Amino acid sequence: MTDDAELIRRVAVGDRSAFEELHRRYARSVLGIALRRIGDRGRAEDVTQDTFASVWRSARRYDPARGAPASWLYTVARNAIVDGLRRTPPPTVDEPPELASSSPGPEELAEAEWTAWRVHRALETLPAEERRLVELAYWSGMSQSEIAEYVGLPLGTVKTRTRSALRRLADELDEELR
Amino acid sequence: MTDVRDLVGDELEPGEHERLQRVHELLGEVGAPPELSPALAASPEPPRASVIPFPRRYRFTAIAAAALVAAVLFGVGYLVGAAGEAAPVRTLAMTGSGGATASLALFEDDDAGNWPMELQVRGLPPGDYELWLAKSGELAEPCGAFAVGRGTTTVPLNAPYRLRQFDAWVVVEAGEDDPVLTT
Repeated sequence: MTDDAELIRRVAVGDRSAFEELHRRYARSVLGIALRRIGDRGRAEDVTQDTFASVWRSARRYDPARGAPASWLYTVARNAIVDGLRRTPPPTVDEPPELASSSPGPEELAEAEWTAWRVHRALETLPAEERRLVELAYWSGMSQSEIAEYVGLPLGTVKTRTRSALRRLADELDEELR
Repeated sequence: MTDVRDLVGDELEPGEHERLQRVHELLGEVGAPPELSPALAASPEPPRASVIPFPRRYRFTAIAAAALVAAVLFGVGYLVGAAGEAAPVRTLAMTGSGGATASLALFEDDDAGNWPMELQVRGLPPGDYELWLAKSGELAEPCGAFAVGRGTTTVPLNAPYRLRQFDAWVVVEAGEDDPVLTT
């Protein structure tokens, strides 16, 4: 599989197929952080489109020596979100009373956002069948037995493939697991 | 958080349980990635870096006018400059393919709305070029023509426009539409 840095290099010289592949790999991750920041689905989708327009325009400025491709794309996405918020700020609401907040602070939120970005991006590296099984296992509410019935595979096969998927994710997320 | 073995069975290699358990917890923490709507399922059309076909007869008129204004301003600036060099109010970096770069220094606009500029270009092949203001990826208003020689070329130019209306500066080869340098 072509690595992300090579794809960005090809986008920089106008390679449309590399751009499509980057979009396939990152669109859900970008939409994910846009939704976290903005909340509104329509605006988040607009920002996602803007992010990829920025990727196309600025790919030639990507310098592999200054960071990993995922970090660069994350920065491009965050900048697009900030621009999107500037263009159409969220509706103002009444100032809440000053109470001690138990919600996470900016650092915790940023950390959580980065982790979600990496995990969602890692999911996109899985073979389609394994990704489907992971998504069903974690976010469908079905048990493994129900998943086995749903996808028409023996329960043992579902477990084996889920294990294989988690191993791949562990390799991909090595940095997060340290 | 449940045990990952509930999902994958007990047949884990030694030392693997802790690693997969952490992945299991991360997946639980971050939640599902959003599904893409049909509008986002396909990659967007790459934005075009150029170009409105600008009628050539207008182009040369506009460039000639801009060059004349630039020359007049250069002369005025040269005379006024004797009183002390002005500092730019903003300096923009421009980049292009093949390592070409430029810096565009914008000086304070005059009462009539002229923005004196100084463009310093490095790395472009020798030839004739034009500086344009661009909007939405298209050439919008010309800001003068200049020739590039070997090494660094520094030229005074002028932009008699309301700059907020535009979103980029681009340099194109004379008579062409594709940018060779952009901000």
